[in-house]
Amino acid sequence: MLNNIKMMVKYLVDINRNVRAVIGGVNSWCCGVVSLALLVTLTGCVTSLDVTGSLPTPLVDPMPARIGVYYSDEFKTFAHEESISEQGTFKIRLGDHNFRFFEGVLGGMFESVVHVGEPPVTGDVSKEIDGVLVPKIIKYGFLTPGVSGLKFYSASIHYRVTLYDMAGKEIGDWVIVGYGKSESQLFGKGEALQKASEMAIRDGGAKLVTGLQGQSGVKAWLAGVRDGEVGG
Amino acid sequence: MNSQQDGPARGVLSRGVAVLAALLVLGGCAASRVEESRQANTGMKSDEAIVILGRATYNERQTETSFTECVSDVLESGSRPIRLISQSEFQDKLYPWFEPRTAPTSADDLGRLFSKPGVQEQIENSKVRYLAWIDGDTITIDKGGSFSCTVSSFGGGCFGISFWEEDASYQASIWDLENLTNAGKISADSNGTSYLAGLILPIPIMARPGNAACKGLGNQLKAFLTQDETPQEG
Repeated sequence: MLNNIKMMVKYLVDINRNVRAVIGGVNSWCCGVVSLALLVTLTGCVTSLDVTGSLPTPLVDPMPARIGVYYSDEFKTFAHEESISEQGTFKIRLGDHNFRFFEGVLGGMFESVVHVGEPPVTGDVSKEIDGVLVPKIIKYGFLTPGVSGLKFYSASIHYRVTLYDMAGKEIGDWVIVGYGKSESQLFGKGEALQKASEMAIRDGGAKLVTGLQGQSGVKAWLAGVRDGEVGG
Repeated sequence: MNSQQDGPARGVLSRGVAVLAALLVLGGCAASRVEESRQANTGMKSDEAIVILGRATYNERQTETSFTECVSDVLESGSRPIRLISQSEFQDKLYPWFEPRTAPTSADDLGRLFSKPGVQEQIENSKVRYLAWIDGDTITIDKGGSFSCTVSSFGGGCFGISFWEEDASYQASIWDLENLTNAGKISADSNGTSYLAGLILPIPIMARPGNAACKGLGNQLKAFLTQDETPQEG
């Protein structure tokens, strides 16, 4: 049955070619103008989006330490802009959601969390904390189905998280990569890319929650906090 | 020029209509097969719930969100609806333990997961009795034909026909969170060919094998959860 249908399709393809040849000859200049207009419209397309999403609190026992977190303005307002040939320009603002997500995640990971300035931290606030954590976004990237050949939009975020002691000395730094992907939708590339970016932030947060406490530098620092060797 | 084209154009139109009529009769069908493998007896109290989770991996395949939403709709509808907790709500409450790279990959990992602080309490408070992990996707296995639309100063229209054959293959692994065991598996496979015909207007004739697999898997899952059946081999 399928073969019969495929033969009918072939027959219609031949007719289609002939009809297009006639119409194309008469109106080729007109089609050219319309095609050019369409091309200009499509290539001039800008996809602008704000990454949003839920803000879960991690279901873990908090580490027995008081932490100060320095969020740079660059971190809080991080945005990515990229132009892809034949797909237009993408403007992705993820800083605000990423900042609030980290606030929730770190709030559940430590006994107490306060916002501080760039380390070394001095003044009264230094007496209330045992160390300073500085998260940074090193790199953000995404792939569209047109580039990857897959059905999905995917996004990745490379973070660097650095822990300092109260003297401003670096205890350790860790690179965490968050990945996310979301199925493409007809007329909904902004929504799919938004979802993929949100998933990448969640994934990065999950790696931070499940991995940070196991780092040797953090283990030694926590032991020092417990023994009263560090902190304000 | 018009009089010369009238004859062939009429012939093309009438043949096209005949082909379209044939496709409407023959096309748009999806053949489905559903299989069940039960490892334990099941049953649900009225206040107990199930969570449908799509298995996400970081290769080129991933269960579509639209498929898990479709299965959820099937479970929630009908004469005996099942209480559902959404994937996003469940993942948020248990963050970060059910994210793509942290989620347990087999029911054997449930014991280790339940030993983590707050996890068992959170699941008991939500009254989640079962988890159903959906794994699979719909892929295009064949396509062909030619279809085009033309716009000109004299008007426009579409002509031609294209077809694509899709194969939907999904499996649900059902985990019992009360007994921390694998309760069973249900698989659904569906195959169908869709057509897009153009006779001035584009006319889609969709087979929707993904939808057929969803309905088959959803209904079987509902029966699996609500009926106590003797364990089957397989």
